Amino acid sequence: MNPSSLPPVTHRSNRRLWLWALLLTPMLLLVVLAAWVASCFHLGSDARALRNGLMKASGIEWRQRITLNANYLTFGAVRAGLSCVRLDPGARAALQSVRSAGVGIYQVTSGTPRSDRAAMLAAADSAMTGRGWERVVGVMNGKDLVAIYVPGKNASVHNLKCCVMVFNGKEIVLVSARGNLEPLVTYALNQPGLCDQAKWLAQR
Amino acid sequence: MKTMIRYPLAIAVLTAGFGCNVLAGPPPGQVDFGKFAPPGDGGQFVEVQINSNLLSLAARMVEKQQPDAAKLLRSVQLVHVNVVGLTDKNRAELEKRVQQIRHDLDAQGWDHNVAVQDKDGQDVGIYTKTRGGEALAGLAITVIQPKEQVVLINIVGDIRPEQVAALGDKLDIKPLKDVGAALKDAAPKEPAPKESAPEN
Repeated sequence: MNPSSLPPVTHRSNRRLWLWALLLTPMLLLVVLAAWVASCFHLGSDARALRNGLMKASGIEWRQRITLNANYLTFGAVRAGLSCVRLDPGARAALQSVRSAGVGIYQVTSGTPRSDRAAMLAAADSAMTGRGWERVVGVMNGKDLVAIYVPGKNASVHNLKCCVMVFNGKEIVLVSARGNLEPLVTYALNQPGLCDQAKWLAQR
Repeated sequence: MKTMIRYPLAIAVLTAGFGCNVLAGPPPGQVDFGKFAPPGDGGQFVEVQINSNLLSLAARMVEKQQPDAAKLLRSVQLVHVNVVGLTDKNRAELEKRVQQIRHDLDAQGWDHNVAVQDKDGQDVGIYTKTRGGEALAGLAITVIQPKEQVVLINIVGDIRPEQVAALGDKLDIKPLKDVGAALKDAAPKEPAPKESAPEN
C-alpha cells in the first residue's frame, strides 16, 4: 500500500462537500424563505380549526378577504429592527409582549341567508374545546357574536395564548395571538392615572 | 413478591384518589345555573366563565404592583356570569328557571341576604354561602328585569370581606368599599369569646 496516494482523495472529497454545501445552502435558504412567506398568509392550526367550525356551522358561503400571520421570527426581526428607534413606551411594551399573531377576515358572499349564530357558537366551542381551549367570554347581541378562548390548562404570564372571534353578520374577524404579558401589564400598572381609571370604570 | 404487592397497591391508591376526586364534586360555593339557549331574534346573550387558572394568572400579573388585589384574585376560584335577553318566547321559561334556582339555593342552605322587588318589576336576590363564619365560599346574584333580561352571577372562592373592603379603601373605589361592607354584614358574626370567670 502506498500511503502517499491518500491525501489527494481526501482533498477531492472535501472539495466535493464544499461544492454541495455551496449549492444546497442557497436552496435551503430559499425553501426556508418560501415557507416563512407562506406562513405569513396562513392562520395557525387552532384559529384554522375555529374558522372551519364556524363556517361549516353557518351553512353559508364565505369569501376570504385577508389572512395575515406574523410568527416568532417576524416579531423578533421587528423588535430587533426597532430596538434602536425611539418609541412610545406603550408601543414598546406592546411590541415586547406579542410573540406571534394572526388575523383572518372572511366575508359572507352576497345574497346568502342569515346564519344561525347559536349554532356557530356551539360549533366554535366544540372545535376549540376539542383542542384544549375553553371559552371565557361569549356574547350575542343583535347581529353580533363575540367569543374569546384561552387554553384550558398551562396558561402562564410569559406564554399566554388567546383566540378572539367577532362576527357582525357580514364578516368574521379571527385574531389569534401568543405573548408574554409581563411588559404590557407592568407598563399599564405603572401608569399614574390607573386608580382614577379604575374608579371611573367602577362608577360606570 | 414485592412487585406483586406494589402494583395492585399503586392501582388501588390511584383508583381511590380518582374516586375521591370524582366524589369531591364542585366547590361548595358553586351554583350550577345549567345551560342557557341564546334567545332567537337577535336577543342578548352573554356568558362569562373565568376559572382559577386565569384568575391566578391575573394575580401573578398584578402581584408586584398591587399585592392586595393579587391576594383577592387568588381567593377567587370562579366567576360565572350569564345574561339572557327576555323575549316573548323565553320569558316564562326563564323566569320559572330563576325561581327554581332561588328555591334550590334556599334548600341548599344558602343565606338569602338581599331580596328587592321594585315598582318596575325588577327582582333581585343576593345569596351567600359562608365558610367557617369568616369567609364567603360563594356569592350568587339573580336578577330578573322583566322587560329586558335575566342576570345570573356566581362567584366562588374563599373571599374574605375585609380583603374586598381593604382593596376598595386602598384604591379609593367606593363601590368596592360598599361591596366589602355588604359582605361583612352578610357574613355571620362569630360568637363573642366568653369572658373567663375571675379566679378565686
